[in-house]
Amino acid sequence: MNTSEIIKTVFLPVSAKVAWGYLTEADKLAKWFHPPQQDLADGQDYALLGTDSGDKMCWGKVLKMDPYHALSYSFAIKPFPDMDTEVHWTLDEIEGGTRITMRHTGLENVGAQSFGLSMALDKGWDGHFAKLRDI
Amino acid sequence: MDALAVKSFKALGDPTRQQILALLAEQDMTIGQVVDHFDMTRAGVKKHMKLLEVGQLITVKAEGRERINSLNREGFKSIMQWIAYFDQFWDDKLDALASLVEQEEQK
Repeated sequence: MNTSEIIKTVFLPVSAKVAWGYLTEADKLAKWFHPPQQDLADGQDYALLGTDSGDKMCWGKVLKMDPYHALSYSFAIKPFPDMDTEVHWTLDEIEGGTRITMRHTGLENVGAQSFGLSMALDKGWDGHFAKLRDI
Repeated sequence: MDALAVKSFKALGDPTRQQILALLAEQDMTIGQVVDHFDMTRAGVKKHMKLLEVGQLITVKAEGRERINSLNREGFKSIMQWIAYFDQFWDDKLDALASLVEQEEQK
């Protein structure tokens, strides 16, 4: 059974070195994800901030940095602050570019508080989803 | 999503319980039949099955003197929604990444 893991791949027409920059450097992350306060660094906590609000949107700790090959960090997002999941990126240089594989694991470790909060707000799950999509 | 979903996730977050679910996905079983697949006491297996039942991932039905355990496919809905949310989340992010790289690198 593997219901608690998401795997995605994306092809980027650039070298692994360039692709790595998009996954780890603050100014590049800002353009497709959310801006962190600084570049990701091995063993360090990170937080990605909302562009307008400045609130923490996603956060965790960098677990592994193997430059141009592999990057892992723990991962929680604002609506589910105590979720305990991990995101693993691998970069494979192939002809004409780099294949990036993203694996989001541990989705069963959602954290009870998250649900407590959503219940307190008395929102249906669908409503909650709609709000999340606006982030 | 509600407290039940938390129980569903708790039930799912264990390798033994995942194995039990995989067995029940193939066919309904009594506890005895499930126990046969594990190097574990009947009491141990029963404890796992109780958590699966509380999380509504399985249903238990009495048939004569037997208690038959079945996979409750409905019970996976909230989990699937949770997974679906992140599935969409990453699709959006990775689309944004691919478009950005295309733009930036063609400059």
